[in-house]
Amino acid sequence: MNELQLDFGASALALPFLAAIVLIFPAVTLWTLRRRHRSDFWLLALFAGAMASVLLARSVTAFAIAWEVMALLSAFLVLQHHERRYVRTAALWYLVTSQLGALCILAALALLGTNAASFSFADIARAAPALPAATREWVLALALIGFGSKAGLVPLHFWLPRAHPAAPANASAMLSGLMLSVALYGLLLVALQLASPVPAVFAFVVLGVGLLSAFAGALYACVDADIKRLLAFSSIENVGIVVAALALVLLARQYDQPAIAALALVALLFHVITHAIFKSLLFLIAGTVAESAGTTDLEMLGGLFRSLRYTAPLALLGCAVAAALPPTGGFASEWLVFRAFIGALVEGPLALRIAATVAITVLASSAGLAAIAYIKLYGIGFLGAPRSTHPIERDSFDGSFVGMAWLGVMLAIFGLWPELALQPLERVTQALGFAVPPLGGFPLLPVKLAVLPLAVALFALLRARARIRSAPTWSCGSPVTHRSQYSASAFSNPAALIFRSFLRVDVDDAAQAIAGFVRRAAARARIIQGGLLRVYLGYAALALAAILLLAR
Amino acid sequence: MMHLIQIALMLTLGPLVQGVMATLHARLVGRPGPPPLQPYRNLRKLWRKEALVPAGASPLFLAAPGIALGASITLSTLVPPLGAQPRTVDAIAIALTLALWRFALVLAALDTRSTFEGMAASREVTFGSLTEAPLILALASLAFGSGAALASILASAGLLIVCLSETARIPVDNQETHYELTMIHEGLVLEYSGWHLAMLQYASWLRQLSLLLLAAMILPGGAIATLAWLLLFIIAIPLVERLVAKMRFFEVPVLFATATILALTSVVMHVMRALS
Repeated sequence: MNELQLDFGASALALPFLAAIVLIFPAVTLWTLRRRHRSDFWLLALFAGAMASVLLARSVTAFAIAWEVMALLSAFLVLQHHERRYVRTAALWYLVTSQLGALCILAALALLGTNAASFSFADIARAAPALPAATREWVLALALIGFGSKAGLVPLHFWLPRAHPAAPANASAMLSGLMLSVALYGLLLVALQLASPVPAVFAFVVLGVGLLSAFAGALYACVDADIKRLLAFSSIENVGIVVAALALVLLARQYDQPAIAALALVALLFHVITHAIFKSLLFLIAGTVAESAGTTDLEMLGGLFRSLRYTAPLALLGCAVAAALPPTGGFASEWLVFRAFIGALVEGPLALRIAATVAITVLASSAGLAAIAYIKLYGIGFLGAPRSTHPIERDSFDGSFVGMAWLGVMLAIFGLWPELALQPLERVTQALGFAVPPLGGFPLLPVKLAVLPLAVALFALLRARARIRSAPTWSCGSPVTHRSQYSASAFSNPAALIFRSFLRVDVDDAAQAIAGFVRRAAARARIIQGGLLRVYLGYAALALAAILLLAR
Repeated sequence: MMHLIQIALMLTLGPLVQGVMATLHARLVGRPGPPPLQPYRNLRKLWRKEALVPAGASPLFLAAPGIALGASITLSTLVPPLGAQPRTVDAIAIALTLALWRFALVLAALDTRSTFEGMAASREVTFGSLTEAPLILALASLAFGSGAALASILASAGLLIVCLSETARIPVDNQETHYELTMIHEGLVLEYSGWHLAMLQYASWLRQLSLLLLAAMILPGGAIATLAWLLLFIIAIPLVERLVAKMRFFEVPVLFATATILALTSVVMHVMRALS
């Protein structure tokens, strides 16, 4: 057994994720270079490389090292504005959660490696069916905690809305768009290959966590008034959707419904890619807004479509994709996810059907709440009139726009020709051992039908040039100013009031309590820290003796 | 071919259904009311007029009526053909097409800077997000095929509650209100006039017919039965509007929770039936 082998190589599962990095990184680079953060560029490039090496790792050691490098580089990205106090706090939260998660992942992979008597992923996957039940449960639980905390699954999400907004926009785009996807890759890797087949109980736990994340993320995004935090919460929602779809893959496999499992897996991978693209786009837009208006607080923004002439249409597209509206890529991926769940509703045993019923209810509600969040983002931030007197810099047609436009074009293409992405994903799914129903099985006509609204809108715009006249807004005789506009928090207040019992649950309190406990425990443990070299050498000798005893 | 004829009929008859319901409602409250063909006349009148646009509005304000109309037409094509067995309906495409309609109109409303429009926009998205679950569940129950009559009735009832909200009817909203503070749907389109308003009104009438037809299709029976159910809904809804008072804003979510439970129960009944 060679523990230190560093195997790297491409695998079918990693391909969609690698594709996401290849598609998105150039856009972030263009944006970064144009915005003159040249020093960031190398950090971002290293980070992209680290993520790619996580995806390419084919052995436990390689994976653990690459993962750790990625985690540390991402902490540096978060810390770029370390002169601000809240950035340092956010980075500390992030580092602690990230390292605890990494420990869980390492433990899970080490358990798998010792069981297979090899640290190569191929051997572990071969030995997976013979895994003892208790070990399998430990591995899956540790992997869910480790990868789940990195992906921002509720209730381990508390660091995410702190860390992602604290980073500069280009770093947030990479963190929210790509690193979350890499964490999801890890979860997929363990659940589908290294510890497969997964018991149904675990799949139900995954489903519960996914649905909870989807709903909570959407609800928090809906009531938040800061663009970057709103986007971070929305990432939690989308991770939740993906994880719920993963649960469907696992359950359908367990209950012998290969067609549904394959459909859910294709939908899941497609959603990962769409989310990565639109989330990077929206974070870059948030960065553009922050640079020209000096804030990302929606209560201070408004009327940005006038000064950000190039960015605003992209923001509209990004919001439409994020709200899963036809005919965009977001619609296509959300449609596939729901289609898989409805398929499970109609076929399969009782447990699968009940799970699908619950999932459809929760996912539909969270889709509705997410739509509020994105309508708010665009409607309050970009339309109407500015809510503060802060001067807004105009944007121009430059490299940063080209980068964002590239992401926007991809989202539009994925909406109109989802097959372009679905056919390769279908092949990936087949390579993973799922029998995919032929693409004709996806009736994609409605996706294209929805092109109609755009055509009619175009007609209306053309006609508009002739028979319209400008007039003041009606406000019962009182003047219409920027003060008469609805504010961001007022806009989402009805939803906040209706769901107030959900919003009262404060995960931060729980996290603070845990942090306090850890701090007190650390204070107690300090007794053994004598500061004398010979005591420390004694500890080292004791540890060595213990290891030798255990390894005997 | 039959489907194309059906779509053409829906495109023509949307205003008529609205006219019949308006006449019926007026008669029920003791007014002579407008003739059933009045909506067509209104459309012709408005279409000829120029449109006023609030000063400083973005191009989105001009595009929104077009997007809304396009979404409504798309919705009417998503209604499955009458009498087709088994009925398959794309629940998600329908729900998200309605979401597109809402997205366009709410953004246009926020663009006007008016407090009333902001208020209406906020209420519209709140209700829209709450009706998403019952809408998708009720339509998904169609995937089980017909058979369980009681389950179908529950799903249809759930969808009808969603229809009341989507078509701005009492007890959720009031189509005839002229009081800006209580308007939801009317508040959204407050700033629209002339041919813009014609497009929007036509779009909402088409949407109303599509949704009612979907609710009728959930109920068991062939094409004739579906049309009979549709007729019943057209008569029953004004009656409900006559008998029930408008609900307080924060009571409406309870109504939507009821719709969700109706639709959920229907799905569970279908599941139990399919497995036994």
